[in-house]
Amino acid sequence: MKKIMLDQMILTTCCPTNAGSKMLDGYVSLFDATVKEKLTEAGYEIAGKTAVGEFAIDLAGETCFGGDATAAAAKALENDTVAALIAFDVNGAPRRTAAQNGLVFVKPTYGIVSRFGTVPVACSGECVGVMARTAADCREALSAIVGKDERDGTMHADEVCKAAVADTKAVKKVALLKMGADTTEIEAAKAKMSANGIEICEIDAGVIASANAAWNMLMCAELCNNVSRYDGIKYGYRTKNYKSLDELYTNSRTEAFGPLLKTAILYGSDVLSSKNYMAKYDKAMRVRRVIAEAFAKLFAEFDAVLLPTVSKSAYTAEDSAFAENKYTAPASVTGLPAVVADGVQLMGPAFSDGTLLGLAEILAKEGK
Amino acid sequence: MKFETVIGLEVHVEMATKSKIFCSCSAEFGGEQNDHVCPACCGMPGMLPIVNKNVVNLGMTAGMMLNCHINRTTTFDKKSYYYPDLPAAYQTTQWFAPVAVNGTVEIETAKGKKAIRIKQIHMEEDAGKLVHDDWTDTTLVDFNRTSVPLIEIVSQPDLSSAEEVVAYLERLRSLLRFARVSDCRMEQGSMRCDVNLSVRPEGTTTLGVRTEMKNMNSLSAIVRAIEYETARHIDAIENGTEELVQETRRWDDIKGKSFAMRSKETAGDYRYFPDPNVMPIVIDDAWYDHIKATLPEFPEVKKARYTGELGLSDYDAGILTDSRALCDCFEAALAVCGSAKEAANWLISDCMNVLNRRQMTADQLTVNGAALGELIRLVTDGKVGRGNAKKILEAMFDADIAPAKYAEENGFIVSNDTGLIEKVIKEAIAADPKAVADFKGGKEKALMALFGKCMKQLKGNCDPQVLRTLLIDEINKA
Amino acid sequence: MEKDTLLLLEKVNQLRLTDEERDDVLAFFENADKDLQALNAIDTEQVERMVHVLPIATVVREDVAKKLFTRDDLQKGAPETMDGYWQVPRVVE
Repeated sequence: MKKIMLDQMILTTCCPTNAGSKMLDGYVSLFDATVKEKLTEAGYEIAGKTAVGEFAIDLAGETCFGGDATAAAAKALENDTVAALIAFDVNGAPRRTAAQNGLVFVKPTYGIVSRFGTVPVACSGECVGVMARTAADCREALSAIVGKDERDGTMHADEVCKAAVADTKAVKKVALLKMGADTTEIEAAKAKMSANGIEICEIDAGVIASANAAWNMLMCAELCNNVSRYDGIKYGYRTKNYKSLDELYTNSRTEAFGPLLKTAILYGSDVLSSKNYMAKYDKAMRVRRVIAEAFAKLFAEFDAVLLPTVSKSAYTAEDSAFAENKYTAPASVTGLPAVVADGVQLMGPAFSDGTLLGLAEILAKEGK
Repeated sequence: MKFETVIGLEVHVEMATKSKIFCSCSAEFGGEQNDHVCPACCGMPGMLPIVNKNVVNLGMTAGMMLNCHINRTTTFDKKSYYYPDLPAAYQTTQWFAPVAVNGTVEIETAKGKKAIRIKQIHMEEDAGKLVHDDWTDTTLVDFNRTSVPLIEIVSQPDLSSAEEVVAYLERLRSLLRFARVSDCRMEQGSMRCDVNLSVRPEGTTTLGVRTEMKNMNSLSAIVRAIEYETARHIDAIENGTEELVQETRRWDDIKGKSFAMRSKETAGDYRYFPDPNVMPIVIDDAWYDHIKATLPEFPEVKKARYTGELGLSDYDAGILTDSRALCDCFEAALAVCGSAKEAANWLISDCMNVLNRRQMTADQLTVNGAALGELIRLVTDGKVGRGNAKKILEAMFDADIAPAKYAEENGFIVSNDTGLIEKVIKEAIAADPKAVADFKGGKEKALMALFGKCMKQLKGNCDPQVLRTLLIDEINKA
Repeated sequence: MEKDTLLLLEKVNQLRLTDEERDDVLAFFENADKDLQALNAIDTEQVERMVHVLPIATVVREDVAKKLFTRDDLQKGAPETMDGYWQVPRVVE
């Protein structure tokens, strides 16, 4: 039986799901995520859960409650009995982990994998994705979890979901997005593509460079709303130090949440305030469309887009997820599929998931 | 100085659905605390909202009944605040594109008719219930009501007295009950009303400082609250007793006063934004037309038809048109039996008697109207006696039975066997010579006693007219 | 952003930062203002807001009530309950 792991954003009844937060330490869900059910049906054995940063919004797991979980996913895949890992991509953390550890990660087209049973953070863009050692392993596990779910109202028709992974089209023309991080990985990918007869054109990122500014607003606003449910009343962490209801709320949240999450909550709340809504949140939603249209224009001409995933091979305390997500936000904000392989990121039009995995295989074949 | 009161209402009505708005928990009133609850209604992570189609149906129905424009694309938004009765710390409601806008409701008071404009009707989820426990000095939280679907009907500030408010609420109640949107029971909280009120010198157009009052549980409480609050505002303006501020106030019906609310929603910024988990609801022509086609006649249109075309008395038509269930049953019975008068009588006296005995309201009537029509025909055709027909009706409250078949199976069919009737009469006369003598002596009542005994002996299966004639014949012979 | 605005945001979100954390958050907000400037450079006058990235209408479900969870299970992880209710300090209305 093939073994697979889930990250701590995927709810399961068998073992606790903490979303990387002290708030949910020991929390056991009363129901299983659809992806977990589908994996079991497909014959996978759930081998365990991997740690994530608090609500999966950080760089690569460093804000996990109880200790730095950077590259926890990669470590899980060092064990070669584990075929793949299901990771929740809210703000690109699994993509960065894959890029910095030589792994493959697919963030599928929004709406082809059910989000039922995932810890909600930024629902308009977050996706359940697959990390593995090879693109082929990613495809196999992704095939097991795609498909319409009656319990998620934001999904495409079942046949559309399945075809997105099953179909692989030939890639002839790729646009290289200039994002100011010309890494050696990008150069290597360019060379391999050229060697395979793929034409590459360098394109200025234009409005796409603002994707993270828009995503930071949308993500934090949605996050602020989604984590407001954690208040110490129904389940989860409750402060010992309270007399009034307000103290119960404030102390529970203040004691349980980490600084990055608090910053995101406050920022999101400011973005949604009646004073700022039009100038910030509404603006971000309009920019989101501008970016989606920019991609649509690119994909009228190109089969895929090549761009960096990360700016460096390892992070320090100075790095911020809100800046580093400049590379991952384009796919998060538009819902387009992205595959990380050999350190670089490949994006394509909606439902080109299978095609992108095929392209990733080309990169792997010619390299190393 | 003379003042006028300017009132706008926000009326919350719990929709008559089986399940909640975004999850499949029961939406039934009451139940054991926290028994109609799932992870979604207690704010746990991971479940996603799936819209109950019936909620949209009823939202559209309400909009159409109140002459609103229906937004063919309607969306849900999130409204955030912390309160223990709101488990996810947000309420899903409609802020940007409510299901219905720009309607009117016509009311009638002693001053005549007046149109009250409806600003909008939006669909949303209800909050849970808080119970205060004095022993432990804590608050207890029950999420049964959480996510029960509501519509909120927001009027323009077109009302100017408690009398108009009552007329407006009664009109809403009648229309919404008629369209089966809600049972609108104020005492159970399935209809609730917030009153936005301000006063201004008569003849001026600038609105005064507005206060919002909550927590009125009956029409009479609403009247008292409006009268109190109007007086408080006038007193503040004329005598400077206090400074009026825009605020939410809680009506205390026992003390007969309103109090500023301290806790809830202090910041007042609800940070509305579109719900990313609920896609827009697109109402296509087929859906719209279907709902339009199922709308009932307005009660007053029905009443006019009942008194005109069908010749019912004003009183009878009034009782029937107070309840959609009575109307539906009446119309179905009429279609079968052909007599409006008979159908109305059976409903107003016989059915209402059973309902009263069972402590049910007219809206809870479940008798099959066509079957009632069949029963009426059996009686008017002389096939079933009236007494036995009442027994059959009682059985019709318990199950959907076919009256003719039931009558046959239970021996309720009128017998035309005059031999048997004569035999029974002879026995009765023989057994009670005193009654015969009394009748002959001019005591009409004595005949009734004999008639009753015979009818009982015949198990009610005899045409009363036939029995009476034969009985008198036999007495005269004796 | 003024400190007072931040204090209000904390209150609204039931959080209480230390002064040091406040400085960090204020610095973050200052940076975020630059983000806003980047967005403002994009003309969105004629652009419709994009709430959902997928252009589908909502899925509705039939009005059928189901009971899938028990109260005991739902309250298993509750910090405090009484007689089947969740329990909190007294709410003052």
